[in-house]
Amino acid sequence: MTMHDTKPYEPVFTPERRAGLEELLKRYPTKRAALLPALWMVQEARGWISDTAMTEVAEVLGLTPAYVKGVVTFYTMYHLHPVGKNFVQVCTTTPCNICGAENVVKALLQHTGCGELGATSPDGKWTVIEVECLGACGFATPIMVNDDFIESVTPEKVLEIVRKYS
Amino acid sequence: MPVSVPKGTTILEAAKQAGVLIPHYCYHPGLPIAGVCRMCLVEVEKQPKLQISCATTVAEGQVVNVFSDQAKKARQGVLEFLLINHPLDCPICDQAGECELQDYVFQEGQARTRYADYAKRFNPVEDFGPDILYVPNRCILCTRCVRFMEHAAHDDVLNVSERGDRAVIGIHPDKKLDHTWAGNVVDLCPVGSLLSKDFLHRARAWELDKTASVCPGCSQGCNVNLDTRNNVVVRLRPRANLEVNRYFMCDYGRGQYRWMNHGDRIEAPLLGGKDLTAVDWDHALDRAVQLVKGISGPAVTLVSPGASNEALYLARQVLGNARLQAAFRVHREAGEWSLAGVPDLALRAERAPNVAGALALGYREEFEAAIQTAADAGLLLVLDDALDGVAPEALQTPNIIYLGTRLPEIARRARVVLPIANVAEEDGTFVNRDRRVQRYFQAKAAPGMARPAWWVLGEILRGLGRGDTLSSAEEAFDLLAQSEPAFGGLSYAGLGVRGAVLGSRQPAGQPA
Ligand code: SF4
Ligand code: SF4
Ligand code: FES
Ligand code: FES
Repeated sequence: MTMHDTKPYEPVFTPERRAGLEELLKRYPTKRAALLPALWMVQEARGWISDTAMTEVAEVLGLTPAYVKGVVTFYTMYHLHPVGKNFVQVCTTTPCNICGAENVVKALLQHTGCGELGATSPDGKWTVIEVECLGACGFATPIMVNDDFIESVTPEKVLEIVRKYS
Repeated sequence: MPVSVPKGTTILEAAKQAGVLIPHYCYHPGLPIAGVCRMCLVEVEKQPKLQISCATTVAEGQVVNVFSDQAKKARQGVLEFLLINHPLDCPICDQAGECELQDYVFQEGQARTRYADYAKRFNPVEDFGPDILYVPNRCILCTRCVRFMEHAAHDDVLNVSERGDRAVIGIHPDKKLDHTWAGNVVDLCPVGSLLSKDFLHRARAWELDKTASVCPGCSQGCNVNLDTRNNVVVRLRPRANLEVNRYFMCDYGRGQYRWMNHGDRIEAPLLGGKDLTAVDWDHALDRAVQLVKGISGPAVTLVSPGASNEALYLARQVLGNARLQAAFRVHREAGEWSLAGVPDLALRAERAPNVAGALALGYREEFEAAIQTAADAGLLLVLDDALDGVAPEALQTPNIIYLGTRLPEIARRARVVLPIANVAEEDGTFVNRDRRVQRYFQAKAAPGMARPAWWVLGEILRGLGRGDTLSSAEEAFDLLAQSEPAFGGLSYAGLGVRGAVLGSRQPAGQPA
């Protein structure tokens, strides 16, 4: 699938971010090796990675756009289209599933207004997806809201969480 | 079966030399090794696991079992995986008949699937470039196309997108597969996943006859096969020659087949007068001989650098005793388009296949001067130059003998017009820019009464009492090799299918 930004395109790598990237590059043997963190910088700045942004990263790191695209599409954690301001990942792997993760998902879809998995709520604030084991099986059901890790979520607690981030 | 090969040879290549073709997809001798398809698994004695023969080098005394139960079962498994999502649409696939998936499944696969209950993954056909379509459902992800564009073309516009069973070959939406050498990915693709739009649904592979030839597109002299169907050339494909083009050819060269089929050809010998009259060969040749015998004043021969060495040599002999100016011209483009990853391979600026041959046989690139001389000359012999751009007034005086494939307006003033075969319709040789003499073979019949130029010129020489009828390009070449020092020591048979370099006595070909 191809997604372009709305024009005109503002470069991600402003002088400040450029400086941040240069700092980062010192930790890697080659520019190519810094591709993943560079893509993270784009996603942090824009929330997702557009084809135009891939071309920009390619130019900055001396790679080809096609190569960058291959890498972006390989990993599931890079977003190829815009997502809500709050990006929620819910574990629905077997142990959490047994403990009722499905209902947590339902509650999240309801209270955020997303309606279905992967969709973005009409107010643009929320996107909810399922993920495999988040490594907290003893504290079912864990969810991640952006970089925050929240354990032992039940359908009852969902509304409170949604309010907090709204 | 014992084989002895140089150190560092892979098992797959060693097996080839023993006459065993180990099934393989990602491996291609012209590309870096990837080892991603697992099709080439074989059993190697004393190794606990099966090895990929494309990336494992041979060892002294090693015993390899290609057809052990374990190896065959593993390869059968690979094929089964490849077919899970494959649409099995061979009846509408251009690759059918020359498809390595068909071949290996037929050889070693199983007749039934165990995945009948699953819906197949589906992705739409994509337009990758001016002449290339990508059919993702047929793709087996061998990555030959990706590696060609990266390592040979140095234009890496392709990638592997997504992962696992969703993986497909991708292209950045702002990029196109439009490199001058991009068409090679269609040949490299072992299945019908990358297709040429030009050839789309034009012919079934098993209807095609293949004839070894040399690309007439430029002075590089890439070795090609002419694929013909019902006496029509339908495509050109590269023929491996490690000394010249390795496994590749450029897209300009691929388009050369079109003019080989043109219908507006001269089909009978013609005599000039008020009008051109069609006659038989005897009359036409007789007239040509009379014209040559009656020469007074200087004579000019204008030839095409697309003519064979045999024709060029004989054309000079015809006017051999007269004061002769022998010239040619060649169309030059402004640059070269190289295949960066392969040394000394480019679509050359000189867009004719036999410039070096013309030079070696004493022709000079002085077309304009020759036209000036021709204005007062007694005789002008033209060998397939279309005379475009030449003012009709410039050719008032001379008697013209015109040997050609097509009849341009200005050639209508010739005293005699003799129809000749084109490169697809005769045997002959060219000399490429690296002075390699290479043979090409006849792929289709010449139209009407047209004959190879070497035969026509040989008959004129016979009429002049200077030779016998030539019965083959071989005879013509061997005559040439006897009298032209540059070609000394070469023989037509000795050229083989890979050619030999001028001035070297040995054919310089080497096994692929
Ligand atoms: S398109 Fe053809 S060459 Fe490219 S990966 Fe797929 S099967 Fe291989
Ligand atoms: S490089 Fe020249 S000889 Fe080779 S395929 Fe292209 S046009 Fe033909
Ligand atoms: S299964 Fe949900 S955190 Fe491991
Ligand atoms: S040919 Fe050996 S792994 Fe593909």
